[in-house]
Amino acid sequence: MDYSWVTFANALLLGLSIGSIWLIAALGLTIIYGTAGVINMAHGELIMLGAYSAYCLQTYLGVSYLLCIPLSFVIVALFGLVIERVLIRYLYARPLDTLLATWGVSLVLMQGVRMIFGNDPKYINMPQFLSSNVSFGPLSLSAFRILIIAMTAVLVGAFWYVFYRTHFGIKIRAVTQNKEMAASFGINSQRIYMLTFALGAGLAGLAGSLFAALSIVLPNMGTGYIVQSFLVVVTGGGSLLGSVAAGALTGEIQSVLAYLINDTFARFMLFILIVVFLRFRPQGLFSAGATRR
Amino acid sequence: MSSNPYHDKRCQWLMYLVFFAGVGLIPVFIDDAFLLNQFALYGVFGLLAVSISLCWGAGGILNLGQGLMFGLSAYGMAMTMQMQSQDPINNPIPPFMLNNGLDHLPWFWSLFSSTGGGIFLTLAVPTLFCLLFGGLMFSARVSGPFFAIISLALLSAVGTLVLDIQPYTNGANGISPPMPLQIFGAPLDPYSTSMFWVVFVCLCGLTVLAKLITQSKFGQIVHALKNDPERVRFLGYNVALYETLIYTLSGFIAAVAGCCFTLIVQYVSPAQFDVAFSITMVIWAGIGGRLSLLGSIIGALLIQGGQSYLGDSFLNSWMLILGLFFIVVVRFLPRGLAGLIESVLGRLRTPEPAAHEASAALTKSGS
Repeated sequence: MDYSWVTFANALLLGLSIGSIWLIAALGLTIIYGTAGVINMAHGELIMLGAYSAYCLQTYLGVSYLLCIPLSFVIVALFGLVIERVLIRYLYARPLDTLLATWGVSLVLMQGVRMIFGNDPKYINMPQFLSSNVSFGPLSLSAFRILIIAMTAVLVGAFWYVFYRTHFGIKIRAVTQNKEMAASFGINSQRIYMLTFALGAGLAGLAGSLFAALSIVLPNMGTGYIVQSFLVVVTGGGSLLGSVAAGALTGEIQSVLAYLINDTFARFMLFILIVVFLRFRPQGLFSAGATRR
Repeated sequence: MSSNPYHDKRCQWLMYLVFFAGVGLIPVFIDDAFLLNQFALYGVFGLLAVSISLCWGAGGILNLGQGLMFGLSAYGMAMTMQMQSQDPINNPIPPFMLNNGLDHLPWFWSLFSSTGGGIFLTLAVPTLFCLLFGGLMFSARVSGPFFAIISLALLSAVGTLVLDIQPYTNGANGISPPMPLQIFGAPLDPYSTSMFWVVFVCLCGLTVLAKLITQSKFGQIVHALKNDPERVRFLGYNVALYETLIYTLSGFIAAVAGCCFTLIVQYVSPAQFDVAFSITMVIWAGIGGRLSLLGSIIGALLIQGGQSYLGDSFLNSWMLILGLFFIVVVRFLPRGLAGLIESVLGRLRTPEPAAHEASAALTKSGS
């Protein structure tokens, strides 16, 4: 193999792309876990629903791909709202049970989609200009991966703004820090939880619509993302900044190790590194303040 | 104090006796080799349910990666069986390795050349792994959902690794030893009654052992730290030690299950490391009642039996039914079917349920 600096720089660039994909998958999870402490095992299946809604919009209604992305957000957010109202809201006091119940939800969603759409892969057409390669001197990356990186940056910016610069964000952070105290100041914590869950679900849907074009759409595509997303959230410590740092770091480590050895072994090493890291810093890179678990 | 027969130790042991006597009578009435093999396999699922119940029900440690211990020992057993059918001088290398271009036996395979050593390693490696990994995690006070996620991640990492190192593990094809295990000079036929008895003895023995452990002083401390680890720590107990021990014991039971699994199906593949399978084990214990060892076994039998016998007619919607059922149990019956029986028995015996529940809560002990 050619270990020149150009291929190494390409590996770093690819790492950025991998990190952005993992981060965008983990963003919704970060918000749901960080705010309500809900371990949402159905997150991967919400990503899958986003992919299928993009597929349906494009195939049956002829919506253009770029418009499918925000529409998937809305559809899956509404779906998340229903799940929260019907099931999750009864389980906030029992975090381990949210994990189990949402695993049940994920089974139902996966099998439901399989029964409706079948087990064969679906494909999404992207606009021409996104399937080309963009080169910067000797480095090159597909335009679509650049779109994902840009999209991740925009979303992180938007969420930073919502969380730290708006009235709604102050309420969310108040409920996160101390639910009872926030309630005594007149904040309806149930409503905040409901909205953050819907928001997190919507983000999963958005990620799904992007992943749909990145690879094929399958009923079990979500399972591949769930472990990865959780590792980003746990390594990051549940805060937005933590997830950004963890996403970038794990993406780069994965890419560089894959460049040096191979893909699967890189993933194995990454998992081991994360386990060792959490042994010494169980609260993650940046924990989100006062009363964390 | 409590008049609920569910909490009466004599009643509990009576139920164990009835259950295991019932299971032990199976070979008397059934001599269909295929059915016996199926029942032995269910016994393996029962063992896994016991291991989950011990870890999660008694110790409060939700372990989503139990398939790791199960899979490691299943592979160990397959390696032992494969090596038995290799001639150490003329033909020491299993055929799949030659097909994958490996011209020497890897060192960790040669350790499995002797049957006794192979079986010892098969059980010792997962158990020692539990001791090490559990010790690391629990001394860092990683617990609850965090531990669940990390165990899941580790399982998924090892699963991909086993899939990837094809020359050593035959990748996705898995290992299918050509002959059953030869033990004390005779083959242990997977379709025989003796195979059923091996599994039965493991299941019965380990369940009774687990039950005795949960009732011992050790079990009481584990029970206490499940409810409030901080308080137990303040009382001067080494919480991490107790957590590690109960986790290791549960891992050992899963390893025994893995051994029996390979003996029964004579095949092992990376599917044993599948994340979904490990979570299915948790579902068995959750539906059956994680606080009750027997309840968990029955949960495993109900679900796997349902999958085999109803699954054919509801093949497409089985996972849907299972998922919905599990959601309903978590939402309305957090202690599973055993918890339902507990409260029904409580209502029958006591005219004032409210007064009874208060005393039951005081005297409640893991069964």
